[in-house]
Amino acid sequence: MGKVVRYRPHHAEHEWTASIGMIVFLGSWAMMFGALFFVYGIIRSHTRFWPPPDLPAFPLVLPAVNTMALGLSSFMLERARKLILADKVPDTMRAIAFAATLGTLFLSLQLVVWWSLYDKGLSPKTGPYASVFYAMTCFHALHVLVGLGALGWLGLRTREGRYNAARHLPIRLWTMYWHFVGVVWGIMFVVLYVL
Amino acid sequence: MDLQPIHPEPTSFISKYVFSHDHKVIAKQFLWAGLLFLAFGGTLAMLIRWQWAFPKEPVPLLGNMLFPESGGAVTPANYNVIFTMHGLIMIFFAITPILIGAFGNYCIPLMIGARDMAFPTLNMLSLWTFILSQLLIIASFLVRLGSGAAGWTTYPPLSTNVGTPGMGQTLVVAAIFVTGISTIMGGINYVTTVIRFRAPGMTWMRLPLTVWGLWLTAILNVLFVPVLGSAGLLLILDRTFGTQFFVAGSSAVRGGGDPILFQHLFWIFGHPEVYILILPVWGIVSDTLSFFARKPAYWYKGSVAAMTLVTILSAVVYGHHMYMTGMSPLLGQSFMLLTLAISVPAMILFVNWLMTIWRGSMRLTVPMLFSLGMVFVFGAGGLTGLYLADISLDLYLHDTMFVVGHFHLTMAAASFLGSFAGIYHWFPKMFGRNMNEGLGKAHFWGSVIFITLVFTGQLIVGYSGQQRRLYDPFQYETLQHLRGLNRLTSFFGFCLATSQVFFVINFFRSVFAGTKAEANPWQLPTLEWQIASPPPYHNFDVIPTVVRGPHEFANPAVKKALGRDWLDQTEEFPEEEVSAPEAKLAERAS
Repeated sequence: MGKVVRYRPHHAEHEWTASIGMIVFLGSWAMMFGALFFVYGIIRSHTRFWPPPDLPAFPLVLPAVNTMALGLSSFMLERARKLILADKVPDTMRAIAFAATLGTLFLSLQLVVWWSLYDKGLSPKTGPYASVFYAMTCFHALHVLVGLGALGWLGLRTREGRYNAARHLPIRLWTMYWHFVGVVWGIMFVVLYVL
Repeated sequence: MDLQPIHPEPTSFISKYVFSHDHKVIAKQFLWAGLLFLAFGGTLAMLIRWQWAFPKEPVPLLGNMLFPESGGAVTPANYNVIFTMHGLIMIFFAITPILIGAFGNYCIPLMIGARDMAFPTLNMLSLWTFILSQLLIIASFLVRLGSGAAGWTTYPPLSTNVGTPGMGQTLVVAAIFVTGISTIMGGINYVTTVIRFRAPGMTWMRLPLTVWGLWLTAILNVLFVPVLGSAGLLLILDRTFGTQFFVAGSSAVRGGGDPILFQHLFWIFGHPEVYILILPVWGIVSDTLSFFARKPAYWYKGSVAAMTLVTILSAVVYGHHMYMTGMSPLLGQSFMLLTLAISVPAMILFVNWLMTIWRGSMRLTVPMLFSLGMVFVFGAGGLTGLYLADISLDLYLHDTMFVVGHFHLTMAAASFLGSFAGIYHWFPKMFGRNMNEGLGKAHFWGSVIFITLVFTGQLIVGYSGQQRRLYDPFQYETLQHLRGLNRLTSFFGFCLATSQVFFVINFFRSVFAGTKAEANPWQLPTLEWQIASPPPYHNFDVIPTVVRGPHEFANPAVKKALGRDWLDQTEEFPEEEVSAPEAKLAERAS
């Protein structure tokens, strides 16, 4: 056998590999959401009255506020990524905390939307109109919840000083994820609430 | 590449053999899990064949144990579970782990010259998620009312609470969802590993075709398994939370959902899935034919292009499964045209195989025999596919045993023989021991003869009008004359199952007591054969530098200088002799 060579991992290379993995994962997940939108399209095209006359229509104001909240949150996390590149650790932490707060606001308002609709008699059992609404929003909210968990974890680890300009791969990856969740929400907002 | 440090080898039993990060160990774990479920699914197949040969008669050996309530005979309810779970188990829990889990994990890093996968932990999670899904399948058999019984396609309304009440069907759909997650994790790993971890000099056009097949498979998996995931998720919601995606008719609220919608989602995934099950085999066979014909693979780039084209086209042909759902004729004809178009790249690949072995110095080793067998059954399966792609013929043949025969020849027979080609081929590298050649050949001849006969029998009864999935086909007067043929086909099936005993004996004997394998027993150029058998934990002491493609055979200059007919992918060879043909060409041109 030849001599065993030890390599010191080069971080930038490793980051690139992880980013490709993340892109592949998000592409895969985009197909998952894409399938849900497909379901929505087919069901809606088969339904004569949308919304059905005896069921409440979806609100527009709160989801619009939510869209802005999630958009701003995405923007804040992008800022956090830029800040860590400049080695500004406390600022990064504040930006992450702000992004997480906006994410929490999103989920709270989403709860209000669900609750008000449920109160008006829209339960998942009241036909395909309700089914597709709850399935899509809940599945998306689940992703926001996972993202929030990640943001909390990132915030704590930033405070511990584990990230700097050279090493901040988790921030980069979760920023990609968070943008993805935001974009999916943007499409969902237009498709579900506006159209 | 400084991407790949050498990690110290784990020492504890758990980190070495159970929760291992090592792609080679994970591959073997997938192999064991897959082979176990292959036997499981095969047993279910034998029960179906028994029912078609001797309807309502007690099953010998297993009957009293499995169906005590009916005196050992298969009951209609049990029959539904059996044929449903046969399909699901074979596709998701036997062929997928063997082809993609085992060969994907084993071959990709070794053949591209990497130390491990890009994300070893994700790889381990992929395995254990898969094991969880297998446990869910086993659990589904133990609950009241038994396992899934809606057919492997789990079409609603059969798969809703109306068609299959009980926990079993829900568990099965959950198992498919979980195994989908596992497949996606694996797919992310394969796609990234091939992009990032190819050894220096291992350009895309120097990749072994096995890697090409597995990589394209991984892309299909990553893109289309999530669609099935969505469908499964919505089905579970329908079954447990009372949503109305697929429920229609009297059990629906406000018009309900659309059962056909599930078929769309299922086949958007389902058609790429059949290529997911065959692309790795195409890759493996393209390589082994070249390896054992001792000739370069004919038109390597053409094969790569053909496989890529099939991968792309596979995404846009799914409608041919739904000709009978009342789709618009225009849409139907578009799908027909695209489906027939996919046979063009498939044909290119097929001709390349034939040209590869044409006038080769054939070495009829066991993996070569299995590869040739695969080419044969795949040819037959592909030709019968043309019948079914055609709408006017499909109206007659849809849902008959002809369809069953067709997709078994391609997905089952070809994947099965291809898998065994791979197992016999890489066994010396995987386990460091040789398999017995005599037993291997007995296994091959038993398998190839009876697998062809079984599925040909299905084609014939299908063409005569026998519907698939009938509990007792002979209750219909029009099918009674097919009783003899069905019984004969069943005997072929039993012989096929019996032939597998050769493999089981061979496998276990060789794993534990086979003769020690050399590093390169087949004398092959690809990277995995240039290191010890089995490879060390970190695969390559030094990441190799690749200087040529994977099929460097039959170069007279090499034969003259080195006395052998192959050059490995890393081997330098004096420039003037290699480029002799090119020099001659240049001379002629000037």
